[in-house]
Amino acid sequence: MAFWQLTRLRVVYPALLFFLLFVDGSLMAGMGGILTAFPWYILPTLTLVWLFYAVQFEVDKDMPFWLYVILIGILFDMYYTGIFGTYTLAFIAAVAVMKQLHKILDERLLSGISIFLIGLIVYLVVTYGAGFIIGIANVSLVTFFAFEVLPTAVLNIIVVTICYYPTWSLFQFLK
Amino acid sequence: MRKIFSSRAVVTIIISLIVIVGLIAGSNWWAKRTNTPPFFQRFGNDLAGGVSRIISVPTTAIGRSANSIGNLLDTFEENRELKSKIDEFAQDKVRLQTVEEENKTLKNQLKLKATLTDYKTVSAVTISRSPTTWQSQLVINKGLKSGLKKGMPVLSGAGIIGRISEVNTTNSKVALISDTSEDANRFAITIKGGNGDVNGIVTNFNREKNQLIMSQVTSENQIKAGDLVETSGLGGVIPAGLYVGKVSSVTRDDYGLSKRINIEPAADLGNVTTVVVAVSQIGAQ
Repeated sequence: MAFWQLTRLRVVYPALLFFLLFVDGSLMAGMGGILTAFPWYILPTLTLVWLFYAVQFEVDKDMPFWLYVILIGILFDMYYTGIFGTYTLAFIAAVAVMKQLHKILDERLLSGISIFLIGLIVYLVVTYGAGFIIGIANVSLVTFFAFEVLPTAVLNIIVVTICYYPTWSLFQFLK
Repeated sequence: MRKIFSSRAVVTIIISLIVIVGLIAGSNWWAKRTNTPPFFQRFGNDLAGGVSRIISVPTTAIGRSANSIGNLLDTFEENRELKSKIDEFAQDKVRLQTVEEENKTLKNQLKLKATLTDYKTVSAVTISRSPTTWQSQLVINKGLKSGLKKGMPVLSGAGIIGRISEVNTTNSKVALISDTSEDANRFAITIKGGNGDVNGIVTNFNREKNQLIMSQVTSENQIKAGDLVETSGLGGVIPAGLYVGKVSSVTRDDYGLSKRINIEPAADLGNVTTVVVAVSQIGAQ
């Protein structure tokens, strides 16, 4: 593998990660009427989807992946909530769990979806827990799972499925 | 048996958890105390706001068209209803203008400079919204440069949607009333009851019912469903007379000592593309 090919992935991957962080926010603002139509509360988590692809297609070994995860977590906290720690921890925990699961499961689409689903649940549960620490959690766990985790998982799994093969080919091209 | 964690890993995990919990609690405490974030954070947020502004152009356009298609379905019914209301509004508007004029002259005679109802507005566009479980905040494209300050009320469409929670140089964050953190929705309100007003503050938001709650009301004035709720202006930062919503039900608290009033917010917190920040004129010369 030539050096410039390695660099290509190292540039394109974080650039898209950075871009998707803002796309999440723009989607939430632009389609808020649909995504937060009472009683649903659906979050676009394209950033996490992108991190999942790196784990699933094993491109994380070709770049300083953990550094990107931590940096994107800090940026997310700084820009979206102003409270440091929550999403940094959520991203790290979700990626760590997805990495462990990836060792057990294979690369088929269904295994991939299961890995992502568990990663997403970890991500959302960490944010729920952080809400308790600062005393702003005001929704019961049942409501949280029924109206937030469930629809969020459905939406994001659809995204994961649609983009699964295109992303795989993109990584093959960049590798 | 295979050990899943070595003792070193356990210690590292525990220490990092303590650090992160400390960080979350600490930065939350710090954010509440300060008006603007530290220079580095502000610089980063301004930069991120710039990128966000560019990305929001196509997504907002898509979102808007999706919403318009949704609205198209009940346009006919709505149009008929609105037409019947419009004549009423024209009459109200003329009356409002006359009363405003009269109010101005009377204030001049009394040599009053600004009262609780005087405010000027700054309009802004939503560039992003945090895709987060709690603390749903909007990022708007006006900041310190436009004279915004932490705590100012933000309106959209029908009524109040939240307060400014953080001010950067070129953008600011708006904490929505659906956010239950203490600074987001604790504002002074007044309910126009049948036999007198009831004053109080919003004490909570019930996300499961999408309602604001005003609790610990001991006033004996009659309040019924449908009564209008507006800001009272007490406290000075939020001007008086901003529309909040309508009373949806009145219940007794758990001990039966005081009333709890549930309020249906007027503003739709889902579709917020443009907002108006109300800047109180008290103290401004």
